[in-house]
Amino acid sequence: MATSAAALTLPLDRKGKREEDRELVRLSQVGTESAFEELVRRHQQRVFAVVGSILHRPEDVEDVAQQVFLKAYLGIKRFDQRAAFSTWLYKIAVNECWDYLRKKKVRPLVYESDLSEEQASRLDGIASSDRPPEGPNARAEAREVLDRMLAALPEQDRQLLVLKEMEGFSVQELAEILDLNVNTVKVRLFRARGRIMDVYRRRMDSSGKLARSSPAQRKG
Amino acid sequence: MPTDTGFEMTACTNYEALLEDYLEGTLDAAESMAVEKHWRDCSSCRVALDQASASVRLLRLAGPSAGPGPAFARTVMARIRAAESDLARSSERASFWQPLVKLGWRFAATATVVLGVLVTYDAGWGHRVQRESATTRWMGGNDIFAPDPANPPASRDEVLMMVADTNHGN
Repeated sequence: MATSAAALTLPLDRKGKREEDRELVRLSQVGTESAFEELVRRHQQRVFAVVGSILHRPEDVEDVAQQVFLKAYLGIKRFDQRAAFSTWLYKIAVNECWDYLRKKKVRPLVYESDLSEEQASRLDGIASSDRPPEGPNARAEAREVLDRMLAALPEQDRQLLVLKEMEGFSVQELAEILDLNVNTVKVRLFRARGRIMDVYRRRMDSSGKLARSSPAQRKG
Repeated sequence: MPTDTGFEMTACTNYEALLEDYLEGTLDAAESMAVEKHWRDCSSCRVALDQASASVRLLRLAGPSAGPGPAFARTVMARIRAAESDLARSSERASFWQPLVKLGWRFAATATVVLGVLVTYDAGWGHRVQRESATTRWMGGNDIFAPDPANPPASRDEVLMMVADTNHGN
């Protein structure tokens, strides 16, 4: 299989960013506030993604994401940099989410998993389109419909699929964040993929949009 | 061994991780060929791979979440500053009471030591007194003041005489 230039440059980029993170962490450890602020800017999007993959409600996500950075700031002097800062931070995020849910005594998702006929129709339209939805509103709408489908999956399946396919985390990163073996992540991901397509087909069937073929097949 | 549970067709267990790698494009040429050969021969794996491939396209339609607003980092830093000043205030309060707390701890430590010494002394003393009384009890057999059970004193005068004799070392 041919290796693309992008695949070669990505690890180098990551390595460079990791080195920069190390320096920013070192400066934060000696009390340079602006260095920590830079770390917040660098990782806020992905912390939001991790928290959002578990909590979903935007107001909860914002609140817990802030709490994650506060905890990281208070604990950064004890962080020995043996792991990447990002891994350490995302682990804090996962733990913080579960603590939050434990305290609130609520289930992670608030969505009903069933799709209305209109939503099924929209999803069918999105899935059969050649191009991804354009514009923030169309993307948000697609995201909402997919989130409803993902709500039908077991919690860990949903989290793996959201972080991997929607937020762009690598298998290695997922293994580190979730404290799982890399092979276990691969197997669980592969099974989760089958389950989400199973849900997709069921939703389409029950909404009268008979799945004549999968989106991939329709695209050829 | 693949299984078909209703809608869901599962792949061969030992090929799941490899099929995920194949989907990701992280296998080398030889591994890719081996996996391709397998899914061409195995209908379960072929269906599962098709499903997995479709899921990638479906899920990537929505793209990443919206993420935080532009003020997020500033809000976080403000929250950190507020938390730090709270910590500083609580440590100030702690430093006001600290001398008294220290004194209290010292008093408690001293009291504990004194109590310990007293208990040890008491235990030792009690033991010695017990031993001494035991010695006395043992000596009772040869007690110089004890009357001879065979010849008990008949009168008060005889008793006084016995005592007087003893005092003179007889």
